[in-house]
Amino acid sequence: MGLRERRNNLMGWLFISPPIIVFSVFIFAPMIVALVISFHKWNLLSPMRFVGFKNYIKMFHSDSFLNSLRVSIIYVLGTVPTTVIMAIILAILMNQQIHGLSFFRIMIYLPVITSMAAAAIVFQYLFEPNFGLINFVLASIGLPKMKWLNDPNQALFALILVGIWKRVGYNTIILLAGLQGIPSVYYEAAKIDGANTSQVIRKITIPLLSPVTFFVTVMQIIASLKVFTSIVVMTEGGPAGGTDAIPYYLYRNAFVYHKMGYASAVAYVLFAIIFIFTLLQFRFGEKRVHYQ
Amino acid sequence: MLISRSNRKQKIYIFIIEIFLLIFVLLINLPFFWMISASFKMKDEVLAFPPTVFPSRINLGGYIYIWTLVPFARYFLNSIIVSVSIAISKIILSSIAAFAFAKIPFKGKDTIFYIFLGTMMIPFEVIVIPNYIIVSGLHWLDTYWALIIPFVVGAFSIFLLRQFFMGIPRDLDDAAEIDGAGKLKYLFSIIYPLSKPALLTVGLYAFLASWNSFLWPLIVTNKDEMRVIQIGLKALQDSWMIEWNALTAASTLATVPIIILFFFVQKQFLEGISITGLKA
Repeated sequence: MGLRERRNNLMGWLFISPPIIVFSVFIFAPMIVALVISFHKWNLLSPMRFVGFKNYIKMFHSDSFLNSLRVSIIYVLGTVPTTVIMAIILAILMNQQIHGLSFFRIMIYLPVITSMAAAAIVFQYLFEPNFGLINFVLASIGLPKMKWLNDPNQALFALILVGIWKRVGYNTIILLAGLQGIPSVYYEAAKIDGANTSQVIRKITIPLLSPVTFFVTVMQIIASLKVFTSIVVMTEGGPAGGTDAIPYYLYRNAFVYHKMGYASAVAYVLFAIIFIFTLLQFRFGEKRVHYQ
Repeated sequence: MLISRSNRKQKIYIFIIEIFLLIFVLLINLPFFWMISASFKMKDEVLAFPPTVFPSRINLGGYIYIWTLVPFARYFLNSIIVSVSIAISKIILSSIAAFAFAKIPFKGKDTIFYIFLGTMMIPFEVIVIPNYIIVSGLHWLDTYWALIIPFVVGAFSIFLLRQFFMGIPRDLDDAAEIDGAGKLKYLFSIIYPLSKPALLTVGLYAFLASWNSFLWPLIVTNKDEMRVIQIGLKALQDSWMIEWNALTAASTLATVPIIILFFFVQKQFLEGISITGLKA
C-alpha cells in the first residue's frame, strides 16, 4: 500500500467517523437493542425477564392492538388515495401556463412547513362542536352539526382530514416536478396528431408521471403509518380508542405503562410493515433521488 | 399543456384554473388566518356562535396570558438553541463526511455509504425506546444533549451534499492535487464556496425538522425549563384554565416566525424538495 493510498484511507475514515459514531450509538445499537428487548418483559425498574415470542403472540391476541391496527389501516386508506389524487389534479393544473405559479407553490406548501402541534391545536378549535368554524359552516348550509372529536368515528375522520391538509402540498410539489420533467416532444407529437386535452392527460401525462406517482404514494403510506402528533394533541387516542393508531399505541405502552418489552415488539411490527413499503419503493420505484 | 384550443378559449380556461387554485390555496390556509384572528380576540369572543371573522377589537390578552402561565420565552429560546445547534452541526459534520464520499478514494467507501443510506429506511418510532434508554443511561434526560446529540449528523444531508459535491467538475479536483493543497484546505477553499446553496438547503431542512419535531422532545424532557416550543404548546393545552385565544396566540408564535422564514428562503427550499424528492 502506497503512502498516498494509506493517507487517503486514513483521511476518508477520519472524515466519516462522526456519523459512524452517531449512527452506531443512536441507530444501529438501538435497532439491535429494540429487538432484544422485544423478547423480554421489562418495566424499566425490575430486571428484564426473557419471555421468547410471548410479546408478539400477546399482541396479536390483544383487542387493543388489533384496534390500533384497524385505526392505522383506516387512516392510511383515508389519507393516501385522496391526498395523491388531489395532488395529481393540483399538479396538472399548476403545470398549465398560469400566472403566479410561485405564489401558488408557496401557499400550497405552508401547511407542510408549519408545526403539526400548532396546526392540531388550531384544528381542535375549528372542530369544536359548539362554536367551531366547521360546525358553523355545516349549520349555515343546512347540515346537522357533527360531534367531531367527541365521537370515535368522526374523530378519526377529522384526523384524516388534518392528515390530508398537512401533506397534499408536499405531494403536489413533487408531482409538479415530475410533470415538468416530461419532455415536451410528447406533447408536441400529440398536438400534431390532434389529441384533445383529456386524451393528452390520459395517454401521456398520467402514464409518464406514474413512477413519480408511485414514489409519492409509497412515501404517503409510510408517513400515514407514522401519524402521531395530531393524535397526541387532538384526541389522545380517544374517544374509546377510536384514534389509537399504532405509533400512539406504542408510545402509550412504552412511556405511560412502561411495558418496554411489549412496546418494542409493537415497534418491530410497525417496522416490518413500513419496511415492506420501503422495499416496494426500492424494488419497483424508479430511483428519483438525483441532484443533477 | 392545453392544446387545440383557440386563443380566447384558452385564456378563459387558464383564468378558471387560476381562480380554482386561488380558492384552494386560500382554503387550505384558512386555519392560519383563523388562528391569528382568534389570537387577538377577547376570551369570550373566541367562544361566540356564530363566530366572528375578525376580532371586534384587537386584544393582546391571549399573548399576555401565556407569558404569565408558562415560561413561554424559555420554550422559544430552547427551540432556537436546539434547532440552530442541529442545523450548524449537520452542515459541518455532514459536509465533511460527504466530502470524503465524493472526493477521497478510501477502502470500504461504497459499503459504508450504502449502510448510511440504509439508516434512512429506519423509522425513528422503531428505535425510540432504546434511544430513550441510552439517553437516560447517559443522564441526559432534561438536557440539551438529549435534544441535540442524536441529530448532529444525518444520512439525508450527507447524501444530498455528496451528490452536490460530485457535480463539482473534475478538473478542479486535479488542480487541487497538483497544487498539493491539503484535503481540508481544498474543502474550505474550493468546495465550500461553490456549495453555498446546497449547504444552506441542508441547514434549512435540519432547522425546520428540529423546530417541528415532537415525539423525541416529548419523551426526553419533563422539566418546564427544558421544554421546546412544540411540547410547550401541548403543556399549555393541558393546563385546565386555558382559553382558546391564549392557545391560538401560542400557536401563532410557534408558526408565524417559521412562515416568515419560509417566505425568505422558499426558492431554496422548494427546489431542494423537487430535486431530491425526499423528506419534507
